[in-house]
Amino acid sequence: MSFTESIKKEFSTRTLVLIPVAIAINIVVGQLLIILKLPIYLDSIGTVLVGALAGPWAGALTGALTNIIWGLTLYPQAMPFFYVAAVIGAMAGIAAKLGVFERISPRWLSALIGGFFFFGLTLFILSVTTYSREGLIPNATDLIRQYGVVFIIIAIIGLAIGYFVLQKAGYAGLAGLITGVVAAIISAPTAAVVYGGVTGAGTDLVVAAFRASGTGILASTFAQGAVSDPFDKMVSFLIVWLILQALPARFKSR
Amino acid sequence: MTASISLYIAGDSGLHRLHPLTKLTLTLTILLGGFAIPYTWASYAIFLGIVLPIAIWGGIWKQMLRSVWKIVLPFAISIFLIQSLFWGEGTALFAFGPLSIEKEGVIFAMGSVGRIIVVISSFLLLTLATRPDSLMNALTKIGVPAGITYIVVTTIQIVPRFQAKAASIIDAQRSRGLITEGNLLKRTRALVPLVMPLVLSSLVDVEERAIAIEARAFNSPGSKTSLNVIPDTSTQRIARWIMFLLIVLIIGYRIWWSLTFTN
Repeated sequence: MSFTESIKKEFSTRTLVLIPVAIAINIVVGQLLIILKLPIYLDSIGTVLVGALAGPWAGALTGALTNIIWGLTLYPQAMPFFYVAAVIGAMAGIAAKLGVFERISPRWLSALIGGFFFFGLTLFILSVTTYSREGLIPNATDLIRQYGVVFIIIAIIGLAIGYFVLQKAGYAGLAGLITGVVAAIISAPTAAVVYGGVTGAGTDLVVAAFRASGTGILASTFAQGAVSDPFDKMVSFLIVWLILQALPARFKSR
Repeated sequence: MTASISLYIAGDSGLHRLHPLTKLTLTLTILLGGFAIPYTWASYAIFLGIVLPIAIWGGIWKQMLRSVWKIVLPFAISIFLIQSLFWGEGTALFAFGPLSIEKEGVIFAMGSVGRIIVVISSFLLLTLATRPDSLMNALTKIGVPAGITYIVVTTIQIVPRFQAKAASIIDAQRSRGLITEGNLLKRTRALVPLVMPLVLSSLVDVEERAIAIEARAFNSPGSKTSLNVIPDTSTQRIARWIMFLLIVLIIGYRIWWSLTFTN
Protein backbone atom coordinates (compact mmCIF):
# COMPACT_ATOMS: atom_id res chain seq x y z
CA MET A 1 0.00 0.00 0.00
CA SER A 2 1.45 3.35 -1.02
CA PHE A 3 1.85 6.31 1.31
CA THR A 4 -1.00 8.41 -0.12
CA GLU A 5 -3.27 5.37 -0.22
CA SER A 6 -2.66 4.74 3.47
CA ILE A 7 -3.60 8.37 4.24
CA LYS A 8 -6.74 8.09 2.13
CA LYS A 9 -7.73 4.92 3.91
CA GLU A 10 -7.61 6.78 7.24
CA PHE A 11 -10.17 9.30 5.96
CA SER A 12 -13.11 7.00 5.33
CA THR A 13 -16.63 8.41 5.60
CA ARG A 14 -16.78 6.95 9.09
CA THR A 15 -13.69 8.90 10.10
CA LEU A 16 -15.12 12.10 8.64
CA VAL A 17 -18.27 11.60 10.69
CA LEU A 18 -16.27 10.71 13.79
CA ILE A 19 -14.10 13.86 13.68
CA PRO A 20 -16.87 16.46 14.35
CA VAL A 21 -18.10 14.29 17.23
CA ALA A 22 -14.55 14.18 18.60
CA ILE A 23 -14.09 17.94 18.30
CA ALA A 24 -17.40 18.48 20.09
CA ILE A 25 -16.18 16.09 22.83
CA ASN A 26 -12.97 18.17 23.15
CA ILE A 27 -14.92 21.38 23.52
CA VAL A 28 -17.66 20.10 25.84
CA VAL A 29 -15.34 18.09 28.12
CA GLY A 30 -13.11 21.17 28.32
CA GLN A 31 -16.14 23.11 29.57
CA LEU A 32 -17.13 20.28 31.94
CA LEU A 33 -13.70 20.57 33.59
CA ILE A 34 -14.36 24.26 34.20
CA ILE A 35 -17.64 23.32 35.94
CA LEU A 36 -15.78 20.74 38.07
CA LYS A 37 -13.07 23.37 38.77
CA LEU A 38 -10.25 20.88 38.23
CA PRO A 39 -6.76 22.22 37.54
CA ILE A 40 -6.36 20.38 34.21
CA TYR A 41 -7.72 21.16 30.74
CA LEU A 42 -8.52 17.72 29.30
CA ASP A 43 -9.39 19.33 25.99
CA SER A 44 -7.82 16.65 23.81
CA ILE A 45 -9.75 13.49 24.68
CA GLY A 46 -11.54 13.54 21.31
CA THR A 47 -8.28 14.16 19.46
CA VAL A 48 -6.57 11.23 21.19
CA LEU A 49 -9.64 9.07 20.54
CA VAL A 50 -9.58 9.75 16.77
CA GLY A 51 -5.82 9.13 16.70
CA ALA A 52 -6.40 5.79 18.43
CA LEU A 53 -9.39 4.73 16.31
CA ALA A 54 -8.50 6.10 12.86
CA GLY A 55 -4.76 6.80 12.79
CA PRO A 56 -2.16 9.57 13.15
CA TRP A 57 -3.23 11.71 10.15
CA ALA A 58 -6.86 11.76 11.22
CA GLY A 59 -5.75 12.52 14.79
CA ALA A 60 -3.61 15.41 13.58
CA LEU A 61 -6.48 16.85 11.53
CA THR A 62 -8.83 16.57 14.51
CA GLY A 63 -6.40 18.40 16.76
CA ALA A 64 -5.71 21.22 14.30
CA LEU A 65 -9.39 21.72 13.51
CA THR A 66 -10.32 21.71 17.20
CA ASN A 67 -8.18 24.75 17.84
CA ILE A 68 -9.23 26.46 14.62
CA ILE A 69 -12.94 25.96 15.31
CA TRP A 70 -12.43 26.99 18.91
CA GLY A 71 -10.69 30.10 17.67
CA LEU A 72 -13.49 30.83 15.22
CA THR A 73 -16.27 30.37 17.73
CA LEU A 74 -15.51 30.72 21.42
CA TYR A 75 -11.88 31.24 22.22
CA PRO A 76 -9.75 33.23 19.72
CA GLN A 77 -6.57 32.77 21.76
CA ALA A 78 -6.54 29.00 21.03
CA MET A 79 -5.94 29.49 17.30
CA PRO A 80 -2.12 29.92 17.31
CA PHE A 81 -1.67 26.55 19.05
CA PHE A 82 -3.37 24.49 16.33
CA TYR A 83 -0.08 22.80 15.36
CA VAL A 84 0.47 21.59 18.94
CA ALA A 85 -2.96 19.93 18.95
CA ALA A 86 -2.12 18.35 15.58
CA VAL A 87 1.09 16.84 16.96
CA ILE A 88 -0.84 15.49 19.99
CA GLY A 89 -3.31 13.75 17.65
CA ALA A 90 -0.53 12.35 15.48
CA MET A 91 1.36 11.03 18.53
CA ALA A 92 -1.82 9.38 19.82
CA GLY A 93 -2.18 7.67 16.44
CA ILE A 94 1.41 6.42 16.49
CA ALA A 95 1.00 5.27 20.09
CA ALA A 96 -2.12 3.35 19.06
CA LYS A 97 -0.18 1.64 16.25
CA LEU A 98 2.30 0.49 18.91
CA GLY A 99 -0.65 -1.02 20.78
CA VAL A 100 -0.61 1.08 23.95
CA PHE A 101 -4.42 1.30 24.07
CA GLU A 102 -4.85 -2.48 23.95
CA ARG A 103 -2.11 -3.50 26.32
CA ILE A 104 -2.77 -4.01 30.00
CA SER A 105 0.14 -3.45 32.33
CA PRO A 106 0.51 -4.84 35.85
CA ARG A 107 0.14 -2.15 38.52
CA TRP A 108 3.71 -2.43 39.78
CA LEU A 109 4.91 -1.67 36.23
CA SER A 110 2.61 1.40 36.02
CA ALA A 111 4.08 2.57 39.33
CA LEU A 112 7.63 2.16 38.00
CA ILE A 113 6.70 4.01 34.80
CA GLY A 114 5.29 6.89 36.87
CA GLY A 115 8.28 7.02 39.19
CA PHE A 116 10.93 6.93 36.46
CA PHE A 117 9.08 9.36 34.21
CA PHE A 118 8.63 12.07 36.82
CA PHE A 119 12.24 11.62 37.99
CA GLY A 120 13.47 12.05 34.40
CA LEU A 121 11.13 14.98 33.76
CA THR A 122 12.41 16.84 36.83
CA LEU A 123 15.99 16.29 35.67
CA PHE A 124 15.06 17.61 32.22
CA ILE A 125 13.27 20.74 33.51
CA LEU A 126 16.10 21.55 35.92
CA SER A 127 18.70 21.05 33.15
CA VAL A 128 16.87 23.38 30.77
CA THR A 129 16.29 26.12 33.36
CA THR A 130 19.84 25.87 34.74
CA TYR A 131 21.19 26.05 31.20
CA SER A 132 19.09 29.16 30.61
CA ARG A 133 20.47 30.81 33.78
CA GLU A 134 24.11 29.84 33.50
CA GLY A 135 24.67 29.06 29.82
CA LEU A 136 26.22 25.69 30.68
CA ILE A 137 24.62 22.29 30.38
CA PRO A 138 24.69 21.07 34.00
CA ASN A 139 26.02 17.72 35.13
CA ALA A 140 23.16 15.35 36.00
CA THR A 141 24.83 13.99 39.14
CA ASP A 142 25.48 17.53 40.40
CA LEU A 143 21.82 18.41 39.91
CA ILE A 144 20.66 15.28 41.72
CA ARG A 145 23.06 15.97 44.59
CA GLN A 146 21.92 19.61 44.79
CA TYR A 147 18.17 18.91 44.67
CA GLY A 148 18.24 15.40 46.19
CA VAL A 149 15.14 15.76 48.38
CA VAL A 150 13.10 17.21 45.51
CA PHE A 151 13.99 14.25 43.30
CA ILE A 152 13.04 11.71 45.96
CA ILE A 153 9.69 13.38 46.70
CA ILE A 154 8.82 13.67 43.00
CA ALA A 155 9.80 10.06 42.28
CA ILE A 156 7.54 8.90 45.15
CA ILE A 157 4.67 11.04 43.82
CA GLY A 158 5.29 9.50 40.38
CA LEU A 159 5.17 5.99 41.85
CA ALA A 160 1.89 6.81 43.58
CA ILE A 161 0.38 8.32 40.42
CA GLY A 162 1.35 5.22 38.45
CA TYR A 163 -0.05 2.82 41.05
CA PHE A 164 -3.27 4.62 42.00
CA VAL A 165 -4.20 6.67 38.90
CA LEU A 166 -2.88 4.74 35.92
CA GLN A 167 -3.45 1.31 37.49
CA LYS A 168 -3.54 -1.07 34.49
CA ALA A 169 -3.12 1.58 31.79
CA GLY A 170 0.63 2.00 32.28
CA TYR A 171 1.53 1.92 28.58
CA ALA A 172 -1.18 4.39 27.55
CA GLY A 173 -0.20 6.63 30.48
CA LEU A 174 3.46 6.61 29.43
CA ALA A 175 2.47 7.54 25.85
CA GLY A 176 0.40 10.42 27.26
CA LEU A 177 3.25 11.62 29.48
CA ILE A 178 5.69 11.64 26.55
CA THR A 179 3.12 13.43 24.38
CA GLY A 180 2.75 16.04 27.13
CA VAL A 181 6.50 16.74 27.19
CA VAL A 182 6.58 17.09 23.39
CA ALA A 183 3.55 19.42 23.56
CA ALA A 184 5.33 21.54 26.19
CA ILE A 185 8.47 21.78 24.05
CA ILE A 186 6.74 22.76 20.82
CA SER A 187 4.18 25.12 22.35
CA ALA A 188 6.72 27.13 24.38
CA PRO A 189 8.04 29.25 21.44
CA THR A 190 4.51 30.30 20.43
CA ALA A 191 3.47 30.94 24.03
CA ALA A 192 6.60 33.03 24.60
CA VAL A 193 6.45 35.03 21.36
CA VAL A 194 2.69 35.53 21.03
CA TYR A 195 1.59 35.66 24.66
CA GLY A 196 4.74 36.76 26.48
CA GLY A 197 4.89 33.38 28.23
CA VAL A 198 1.69 33.67 30.27
CA THR A 199 -1.81 32.24 30.02
CA GLY A 200 -3.64 34.53 32.41
CA ALA A 201 -4.39 31.49 34.61
CA GLY A 202 -3.03 30.03 37.85
CA THR A 203 -0.20 28.21 36.07
CA ASP A 204 1.44 31.61 35.57
CA LEU A 205 2.74 31.29 39.14
CA VAL A 206 5.15 28.64 37.80
CA VAL A 207 6.39 31.09 35.16
CA ALA A 208 6.78 33.77 37.83
CA ALA A 209 8.79 31.44 40.08
CA PHE A 210 11.24 30.52 37.32
CA ARG A 211 11.53 34.12 36.10
CA ALA A 212 12.27 35.22 39.67
CA SER A 213 15.19 32.77 39.79
CA GLY A 214 16.66 34.43 36.70
CA THR A 215 15.54 31.90 34.07
CA GLY A 216 14.93 33.17 30.51
CA ILE A 217 11.43 33.70 29.11
CA LEU A 218 11.48 30.74 26.72
CA ALA A 219 12.86 28.32 29.33
CA SER A 220 10.35 29.54 31.96
CA THR A 221 7.49 29.08 29.52
CA PHE A 222 8.71 25.59 28.70
CA ALA A 223 9.06 24.74 32.40
CA GLN A 224 5.46 25.84 33.02
CA GLY A 225 4.24 23.61 30.18
CA ALA A 226 6.40 20.70 31.32
CA VAL A 227 4.89 20.91 34.81
CA SER A 228 1.25 20.91 33.68
CA ASP A 229 1.06 19.30 30.20
CA PRO A 230 2.33 15.73 30.90
CA PHE A 231 -0.21 15.19 33.67
CA ASP A 232 -3.02 16.59 31.52
CA LYS A 233 -2.17 14.38 28.52
CA MET A 234 -1.63 11.36 30.78
CA VAL A 235 -5.20 11.67 32.10
CA SER A 236 -6.50 12.16 28.53
CA PHE A 237 -4.75 8.99 27.30
CA LEU A 238 -5.96 7.15 30.40
CA ILE A 239 -9.59 8.10 29.73
CA VAL A 240 -9.26 7.08 26.07
CA TRP A 241 -7.81 3.76 27.26
CA LEU A 242 -10.89 3.31 29.47
CA ILE A 243 -13.20 4.25 26.56
CA LEU A 244 -11.52 1.78 24.22
CA GLN A 245 -11.81 -0.96 26.83
CA ALA A 246 -15.54 -0.22 27.04
CA LEU A 247 -16.27 0.14 23.30
CA PRO A 248 -17.71 -2.87 21.49
CA ALA A 249 -15.16 -4.72 19.32
CA ARG A 250 -17.39 -4.13 16.28
CA PHE A 251 -16.84 -0.35 16.56
CA LYS A 252 -13.08 -0.64 16.86
CA SER A 253 -12.67 -3.05 13.95
CA ARG A 254 -13.19 -0.27 11.38
CA MET B 1 -28.83 26.97 10.57
CA THR B 2 -30.41 26.05 13.88
CA ALA B 3 -28.66 26.57 17.20
CA SER B 4 -24.93 26.84 16.71
CA ILE B 5 -21.90 28.20 18.48
CA SER B 6 -20.46 31.20 16.75
CA LEU B 7 -19.15 34.66 17.49
CA TYR B 8 -20.90 35.89 14.34
CA ILE B 9 -23.08 38.95 14.78
CA ALA B 10 -25.68 39.39 12.06
CA GLY B 11 -25.42 42.67 10.23
CA ASP B 12 -25.60 44.30 6.85
CA SER B 13 -22.54 46.55 6.84
CA GLY B 14 -19.98 46.79 4.06
CA LEU B 15 -17.70 44.56 6.14
CA HIS B 16 -20.39 41.90 6.42
CA ARG B 17 -20.98 41.99 2.66
CA LEU B 18 -17.29 41.55 1.78
CA HIS B 19 -16.34 38.18 0.34
CA PRO B 20 -15.11 35.86 3.17
CA LEU B 21 -11.78 35.34 1.43
CA THR B 22 -11.20 39.09 1.34
CA LYS B 23 -11.74 39.25 5.10
CA LEU B 24 -9.50 36.22 5.65
CA THR B 25 -6.68 37.81 3.62
CA LEU B 26 -7.14 41.07 5.50
CA THR B 27 -6.88 39.24 8.85
CA LEU B 28 -3.68 37.47 7.78
CA THR B 29 -2.13 40.72 6.53
CA ILE B 30 -2.89 42.55 9.80
CA LEU B 31 -1.64 39.59 11.86
CA LEU B 32 1.63 39.47 9.97
CA GLY B 33 2.06 43.23 10.14
CA GLY B 34 1.65 43.12 13.92
CA PHE B 35 4.37 40.49 14.28
CA ALA B 36 6.83 41.49 11.59
CA ILE B 37 7.21 45.21 12.21
CA PRO B 38 9.89 45.25 14.89
CA TYR B 39 8.76 48.22 16.97
CA THR B 40 6.74 48.13 20.17
CA TRP B 41 4.36 50.87 19.01
CA ALA B 42 3.59 49.13 15.68
CA SER B 43 0.98 46.72 17.06
CA TYR B 44 -0.84 49.51 18.91
CA ALA B 45 -0.76 51.68 15.77
CA ILE B 46 -2.17 48.78 13.72
CA PHE B 47 -4.95 48.22 16.24
CA LEU B 48 -5.95 51.87 16.52
CA GLY B 49 -5.28 52.88 12.92
CA ILE B 50 -6.49 49.84 10.96
CA VAL B 51 -8.44 47.28 12.99
CA LEU B 52 -10.61 49.67 14.98
CA PRO B 53 -11.72 51.85 12.01
CA ILE B 54 -12.67 48.69 10.08
CA ALA B 55 -14.58 47.41 13.11
CA ILE B 56 -16.44 50.73 13.38
CA TRP B 57 -17.27 50.53 9.65
CA GLY B 58 -18.59 47.01 10.21
CA GLY B 59 -20.61 48.03 13.26
CA ILE B 60 -18.93 45.38 15.39
CA TRP B 61 -16.61 47.61 17.40
CA LYS B 62 -18.58 47.34 20.65
CA GLN B 63 -18.43 43.55 20.71
CA MET B 64 -14.83 43.62 19.57
CA LEU B 65 -13.68 45.98 22.32
CA ARG B 66 -15.62 43.97 24.90
CA SER B 67 -14.04 40.67 23.77
CA VAL B 68 -10.55 42.13 23.44
CA TRP B 69 -10.82 43.63 26.92
CA LYS B 70 -12.12 40.39 28.44
CA ILE B 71 -9.45 38.21 26.80
CA VAL B 72 -6.45 40.53 26.99
CA LEU B 73 -6.86 41.84 30.55
CA PRO B 74 -5.83 38.64 32.42
CA PHE B 75 -2.87 38.23 30.05
CA ALA B 76 -1.85 41.84 30.50
CA ILE B 77 -1.96 41.67 34.30
CA SER B 78 0.09 38.47 34.35
CA ILE B 79 2.65 39.72 31.84
CA PHE B 80 3.18 43.05 33.56
CA LEU B 81 3.52 41.48 37.01
CA ILE B 82 5.85 38.69 35.93
CA GLN B 83 8.01 40.44 33.38
CA SER B 84 8.42 43.80 35.06
CA LEU B 85 9.04 42.48 38.58
CA PHE B 86 11.10 39.39 37.74
CA TRP B 87 13.11 40.60 34.76
CA GLY B 88 16.45 40.00 36.48
CA GLU B 89 19.15 42.56 35.76
CA GLY B 90 17.83 45.73 34.23
CA THR B 91 17.35 49.42 34.75
CA ALA B 92 15.10 49.87 37.73
CA LEU B 93 12.35 52.43 37.18
CA PHE B 94 11.42 52.47 40.83
CA ALA B 95 11.83 50.09 43.73
CA PHE B 96 9.81 49.32 46.83
CA GLY B 97 11.44 47.04 49.35
CA PRO B 98 12.95 43.99 47.65
CA LEU B 99 10.81 44.46 44.51
CA SER B 100 11.75 46.72 41.66
CA ILE B 101 10.13 47.41 38.33
CA GLU B 102 12.61 47.05 35.47
CA LYS B 103 12.39 49.20 32.36
CA GLU B 104 13.31 46.32 30.02
CA GLY B 105 10.56 44.16 31.52
CA VAL B 106 7.95 46.88 31.05
CA ILE B 107 8.97 47.34 27.40
CA PHE B 108 8.80 43.58 26.84
CA ALA B 109 5.36 43.45 28.48
CA MET B 110 4.14 46.36 26.35
CA GLY B 111 5.29 44.55 23.21
CA SER B 112 3.64 41.29 24.25
CA VAL B 113 0.32 42.93 25.12
CA GLY B 114 0.35 44.77 21.79
CA ARG B 115 0.89 41.52 19.90
CA ILE B 116 -1.90 39.77 21.80
CA ILE B 117 -4.24 42.66 20.99
CA VAL B 118 -3.37 42.36 17.29
CA VAL B 119 -3.84 38.56 17.26
CA ILE B 120 -7.18 38.63 19.07
CA SER B 121 -8.63 41.67 17.34
CA SER B 122 -7.68 40.58 13.82
CA PHE B 123 -9.27 37.17 14.37
CA LEU B 124 -12.36 38.90 15.76
CA LEU B 125 -12.54 41.11 12.67
CA LEU B 126 -13.00 37.93 10.65
CA THR B 127 -15.20 35.92 13.00
CA LEU B 128 -17.55 38.65 14.22
CA ALA B 129 -18.53 39.65 10.68
CA THR B 130 -18.39 36.33 8.82
CA ARG B 131 -20.74 33.38 9.02
CA PRO B 132 -18.56 30.28 9.58
CA ASP B 133 -20.50 28.34 6.95
CA SER B 134 -20.00 30.95 4.24
CA LEU B 135 -16.28 31.14 5.07
CA MET B 136 -16.00 27.36 4.68
CA ASN B 137 -18.10 27.51 1.52
CA ALA B 138 -15.72 30.06 0.01
CA LEU B 139 -12.69 27.99 1.03
CA THR B 140 -14.16 24.91 -0.65
CA LYS B 141 -14.46 26.90 -3.89
CA ILE B 142 -10.70 27.56 -3.90
CA GLY B 143 -9.79 23.93 -3.33
CA VAL B 144 -10.10 23.11 0.39
CA PRO B 145 -11.47 19.52 0.53
CA ALA B 146 -15.24 19.26 1.05
CA GLY B 147 -14.55 16.90 3.98
CA ILE B 148 -12.94 19.74 5.96
CA THR B 149 -15.96 21.96 5.32
CA TYR B 150 -18.26 19.16 6.44
CA ILE B 151 -16.27 18.74 9.67
CA VAL B 152 -16.22 22.44 10.57
CA VAL B 153 -19.88 23.14 9.81
CA THR B 154 -21.10 19.95 11.51
CA THR B 155 -19.04 20.63 14.64
CA ILE B 156 -20.44 24.13 15.00
CA GLN B 157 -23.95 22.67 14.86
CA ILE B 158 -23.49 19.68 17.18
CA VAL B 159 -21.64 21.43 20.02
CA PRO B 160 -24.88 22.93 21.48
CA ARG B 161 -26.49 19.46 21.37
CA PHE B 162 -23.50 18.04 23.21
CA GLN B 163 -23.66 20.80 25.79
CA ALA B 164 -27.30 19.91 26.45
CA LYS B 165 -26.35 16.24 26.69
CA ALA B 166 -23.54 17.02 29.15
CA ALA B 167 -25.94 19.05 31.30
CA SER B 168 -28.42 16.17 31.47
CA ILE B 169 -25.64 13.68 32.30
CA ILE B 170 -24.53 15.92 35.17
CA ASP B 171 -28.13 16.10 36.43
CA ALA B 172 -28.64 12.35 36.09
CA GLN B 173 -25.43 11.46 37.91
CA ARG B 174 -26.10 14.02 40.65
CA SER B 175 -29.56 12.58 41.21
CA ARG B 176 -27.90 9.18 41.67
CA GLY B 177 -25.71 10.66 44.37
CA LEU B 178 -22.57 11.66 42.48
CA ILE B 179 -20.72 14.43 44.27
CA THR B 180 -19.54 17.16 41.89
CA GLU B 181 -18.58 19.69 44.52
CA GLY B 182 -16.28 19.56 47.51
CA ASN B 183 -12.57 18.94 47.79
CA LEU B 184 -10.22 18.19 44.91
CA LEU B 185 -10.30 14.43 45.42
CA LYS B 186 -14.12 14.31 45.36
CA ARG B 187 -14.29 16.43 42.22
CA THR B 188 -11.63 14.28 40.54
CA ARG B 189 -13.64 11.15 41.34
CA ALA B 190 -16.61 12.71 39.50
CA LEU B 191 -14.60 13.02 36.28
CA VAL B 192 -14.90 9.50 34.87
CA PRO B 193 -18.65 9.04 35.61
CA LEU B 194 -19.33 12.30 33.74
CA VAL B 195 -16.96 11.94 30.80
CA MET B 196 -17.50 8.26 29.97
CA PRO B 197 -21.31 8.39 29.34
CA LEU B 198 -20.88 11.55 27.27
CA VAL B 199 -18.22 10.04 25.03
CA LEU B 200 -19.75 6.57 24.70
CA SER B 201 -23.25 7.84 23.91
CA SER B 202 -21.83 10.26 21.33
CA LEU B 203 -20.04 7.48 19.51
CA VAL B 204 -23.15 5.35 19.18
CA ASP B 205 -24.73 7.23 16.29
CA VAL B 206 -21.51 7.72 14.27
CA GLU B 207 -22.21 4.60 12.20
CA GLU B 208 -25.75 5.67 11.28
CA ARG B 209 -24.66 9.16 10.31
CA ALA B 210 -21.95 7.78 8.03
CA ILE B 211 -24.51 5.65 6.20
CA ALA B 212 -26.90 8.61 6.01
CA ILE B 213 -24.44 11.00 4.34
CA GLU B 214 -23.16 8.32 1.98
CA ALA B 215 -26.75 7.72 0.89
CA ARG B 216 -26.88 11.44 0.04
CA ALA B 217 -23.97 11.22 -2.41
CA PHE B 218 -21.35 12.62 -0.01
CA ASN B 219 -18.60 10.76 -1.85
CA SER B 220 -19.80 11.33 -5.40
CA PRO B 221 -16.89 12.65 -7.46
CA GLY B 222 -18.73 15.09 -9.76
CA SER B 223 -18.74 18.85 -9.14
CA LYS B 224 -21.44 20.07 -6.80
CA THR B 225 -23.52 23.20 -6.85
CA SER B 226 -24.17 25.31 -3.78
CA LEU B 227 -27.46 26.72 -2.53
CA ASN B 228 -25.85 29.94 -1.32
CA VAL B 229 -23.78 31.75 -3.91
CA ILE B 230 -21.39 34.22 -2.30
CA PRO B 231 -21.05 37.42 -4.35
CA ASP B 232 -17.52 38.40 -5.33
CA THR B 233 -16.35 41.46 -7.25
CA SER B 234 -13.27 42.10 -9.37
CA THR B 235 -12.31 45.00 -7.05
CA GLN B 236 -12.14 42.55 -4.17
CA ARG B 237 -10.13 40.10 -6.23
CA ILE B 238 -7.61 42.84 -7.00
CA ALA B 239 -7.60 43.91 -3.33
CA ARG B 240 -6.78 40.34 -2.31
CA TRP B 241 -3.83 40.23 -4.70
CA ILE B 242 -2.58 43.56 -3.39
CA MET B 243 -2.77 42.24 0.17
CA PHE B 244 -0.85 39.11 -0.86
CA LEU B 245 1.81 41.38 -2.32
CA LEU B 246 1.81 43.34 0.93
CA ILE B 247 2.33 40.13 2.91
CA VAL B 248 5.35 39.26 0.75
CA LEU B 249 6.69 42.79 1.19
CA ILE B 250 6.25 42.67 4.98
CA ILE B 251 8.06 39.34 5.21
CA GLY B 252 10.81 40.66 2.92
CA TYR B 253 11.16 43.80 5.04
CA ARG B 254 11.40 41.73 8.22
CA ILE B 255 14.10 39.49 6.77
CA TRP B 256 16.03 42.56 5.55
CA TRP B 257 15.64 44.18 9.00
CA SER B 258 16.86 41.08 10.86
CA LEU B 259 19.89 40.77 8.57
CA THR B 260 20.81 44.46 8.94
CA PHE B 261 20.21 45.12 12.62
CA THR B 262 20.87 41.95 14.54
CA ASN B 263 24.49 41.29 13.56
